[in-house]
Amino acid sequence: MNLSWMFLTAFTSVMGEVKTEDISHSLELMGKGMLGIFVVMVLIFLVIVILNKMGSGKKKEK
Amino acid sequence: MSEFQFLVDGASYVASNPKTVVMWLIGGLLIWLAIKKDFEPALLLPMGFGAILVNLPLPGVLGTEGSTGIVTWLYNVGIASSEAMPLLLFVGIGAMIDFGPLLSNPRMLLFGGAAQFGIFLTVVLAVLLGFPLKEAMSAGVIGAADGPTSIMVAQKMGSEYFGAITVAAYSYMALVPIIQPMAIRLVTTQKERRIRMPYSPASVSKTTRILFPIIVTIIAGLVAPDSVALVGFLMFGNLIRESGCLDNLSQTAQGPLANLITIFLGITISFQMQAEKFLSVGTLMIMALGLVAFTFDTIGGVLFAKVLNLFLPHDKKINPMVGGAGISAFPMSARVIQKMALKEDNQNHLLMHAVGANVAGQIGSVVAGGIILSLARMWGLMIA
Repeated sequence: MNLSWMFLTAFTSVMGEVKTEDISHSLELMGKGMLGIFVVMVLIFLVIVILNKMGSGKKKEK
Repeated sequence: MSEFQFLVDGASYVASNPKTVVMWLIGGLLIWLAIKKDFEPALLLPMGFGAILVNLPLPGVLGTEGSTGIVTWLYNVGIASSEAMPLLLFVGIGAMIDFGPLLSNPRMLLFGGAAQFGIFLTVVLAVLLGFPLKEAMSAGVIGAADGPTSIMVAQKMGSEYFGAITVAAYSYMALVPIIQPMAIRLVTTQKERRIRMPYSPASVSKTTRILFPIIVTIIAGLVAPDSVALVGFLMFGNLIRESGCLDNLSQTAQGPLANLITIFLGITISFQMQAEKFLSVGTLMIMALGLVAFTFDTIGGVLFAKVLNLFLPHDKKINPMVGGAGISAFPMSARVIQKMALKEDNQNHLLMHAVGANVAGQIGSVVAGGIILSLARMWGLMIA
């Protein structure tokens, strides 16, 4: 029995063989993807807050 | 009689390739949806007509080995070589978007992130269905609810389901008024849908409006370099709009440029709707996965709002429906949320909050596309 096949292929589904590596990559993508988006969003959030503060500061000076 | 054979060559071709007739019917269906049901007519109509065009006997608009047909040329130049068409369309979209509601209420950005969850869940589901990882990643981006991003990711990944992904991306965008209310009702109570959110926007300075597109481009470029083309062209369009000194260019980007690209984008995409490529079980699965992506994007945004509400004081609670507007389908999604809010309580106006979340979703979807491309590059799955 070829044991490497068991490690590579988790099971066979509707569209073909499902590879264990693909499952782990897809879960990694979910984790890193959502984290990456939130990092970008939080950075943009901070930038907007700073820009708005600077804008309101200038108005007060006037 | 043999000298008149050329008159029946076309009919013989169709008789020996019955799948082409099925594609004519699909083309007819897309045209019908565009005209009768008003489903994204600007794209579904050209795509429907294109589906008929590219399934006529060769050489037709595709050409043969010795000559390049017009649709093949449009595809090679406009999409395959540099994704020029979707990117140029983004300049027009950027010029159309007013980020004001987001700049005056930046917490809406979080929903633009949360409502991309469906993309990643769909990738996992597609893998579990047996799609290769690169096809799963391409299919997931349908959930970006953003045609140009879906086109660009599917093209860069060399997806064999490019046509199906594009059709799904645009047709589901037209179905937002049906998909979103169902998904939102599934995970909210009537009491939650009636939460009122007063709107008291802070004024946004012109400097902020001008610096915003520049800084967002830099941030996206640093965190997700593969999103730069998408974010950059979107923000370039927005900078033209906000600069205040390029009104003519802004109007041109919003109108004639976007319209011109739209006219040819649908026909160009139809290059991938040739019967032998398009008609497969995989296409049906991709369409189903697209529906899952849209639904779970909405649910992701709504549930995130519900989680935030656990930590917010009573008078600051967020109507969870606003979270659902964090998908990128702009401005349909914001309008759907406003309509639903008024249906539950005719004094509850959520439009501006929803617009804020909706434009955040526009940023979120291109960043999601960029992150997918970055990881695909890392895993050696990209063709370009």
